[in-house]
Amino acid sequence: MDNHNHGIVLQVESLNIYYGTLQAVKNVSFEVRRGEIFGLLGPNGAGKTSTLAAVEGLLEPKSGNICVAGYDIHEKKRYARASMGVQLQATSFQPELTVSEIIMLYAGVYGVEMPREKLESILKGIELNHAASKRFGELSGGQQQRVSLVIAMIHNPQLVLLDEPTTGLDPQSRRQLWSRMEAMRANGHGILVTTHSMEEAEAVCDRVAIIDHGQIIATDEPQRLIDLHRNVPAVIEASRKGKITLEDVFIGLTGTDIRS
Amino acid sequence: METKIPSTSNVMSTLLRADLTTQWRNRKSVIMVLLVPVIICISWKSLVDKLGGPFVLANCITVGLTAIGLMGYSNSIARDRDKGIFQRLRVAPVPSWSIMISRLIVQLFMILLVTIAVFFAGYYFDKITVSASGYVLSFVCALIGGALYLSLGQVIVGLIKNPETVSSTTRLVYFAFIMIGMFGELGLLGKQIGEAVKWSPYGTVKHIISDSLHPATWDVHSSVALLVTFGYTLIFTVLGINWFKWNSR
Repeated sequence: MDNHNHGIVLQVESLNIYYGTLQAVKNVSFEVRRGEIFGLLGPNGAGKTSTLAAVEGLLEPKSGNICVAGYDIHEKKRYARASMGVQLQATSFQPELTVSEIIMLYAGVYGVEMPREKLESILKGIELNHAASKRFGELSGGQQQRVSLVIAMIHNPQLVLLDEPTTGLDPQSRRQLWSRMEAMRANGHGILVTTHSMEEAEAVCDRVAIIDHGQIIATDEPQRLIDLHRNVPAVIEASRKGKITLEDVFIGLTGTDIRS
Repeated sequence: METKIPSTSNVMSTLLRADLTTQWRNRKSVIMVLLVPVIICISWKSLVDKLGGPFVLANCITVGLTAIGLMGYSNSIARDRDKGIFQRLRVAPVPSWSIMISRLIVQLFMILLVTIAVFFAGYYFDKITVSASGYVLSFVCALIGGALYLSLGQVIVGLIKNPETVSSTTRLVYFAFIMIGMFGELGLLGKQIGEAVKWSPYGTVKHIISDSLHPATWDVHSSVALLVTFGYTLIFTVLGINWFKWNSR
């Protein structure tokens, strides 16, 4: 997929984040384009969540620039946030509210008109029209994830941030989510997804960046990363069944040590 | 894909609707908050002649306010922070203060509810009557006293992140406040403790509510108690806001 003619919806430049004296993110730069799914991959504690928190404007970096749809996240925070949709790792909605109430809440928060017909159409789109009056806490993991994704898209944002969206989902729900992500890409949204699943990154991401110890160590299309590293000894050693996968490249580049 | 910023009034009304709905769905905890001061009010019927109606009502309202600030508010904030509900709202184009203001408005509504419930129980079961100006002034003082306990609740969620620890700490503080407060006020714990209770957050709030119920008794001591209440609220608010973290991790 050629994205070079597409606009940039997220620009991260020379990002440095510290927690006290510990540097969690070191000089990270990347961009996400319109109509692109960009994967940020890394082991636990590599700096993915810190990078994402900085993009969301929840964390103040020591230095670096972040622009969302042309808005600087620090100077034009509300505009930048209005240009992005976010799906967090946690099921972060009030469990006492019903699915309809949560959608209405976030429609109001993003300034989106939500007449009854539109609400019904949204619920039908995520196959939850029968569960409109069910409380969020009573939904299954897959249903909660669908609600969460619809909220992230409720204001038709240019950039969508998905933080490990398929964690805990069964294969059916995971495939369905991939289809939704591909539909979002087809509609011109730029998507930044963090994931531990190399299968997911290989299946849906147009480009991926591998981050380790706070630094980006490789950025490219998944297949190109595989081709570029297929002869690296550490990657060959990581290979299980003779065929080199993105996971082998990931392990080859980041090592086999378990991170805390 | 145009970038649209919602108006603050729309955001506030939306948040408020959601927070009121959440509170309504947690009716059991609302009833518990109302029940304790009402039960005390009914069980103190025999003390009305001895201590006076305003004393009894003020004690009951203060117990209710303590429950709202220490148990209701702090526990809901700790839970929602832990579940990431605040983080989800904060990544939307809403000012962070609007999230908290909406929560506080719900608690102010609860303060009015507790005050009305105690007045009703006082009138119906204990035959305590208050002048119209007494009712109005005591509502104002209940709001001021409620603000003190909300700010104390804010200090607790500022200091403690874990929701279970917040819950157990607030129960302990609540129990200590009402036991030491009530028995200290009645002089059952000795003169020194009685004097300390008088100028504690419990004592000053009880004092201003009691005197506001009977405006003719409002004197310089009442005004000092009001100032001390404001002082506590200011200190707790500054500390609570400074220590508060939106994320529990």
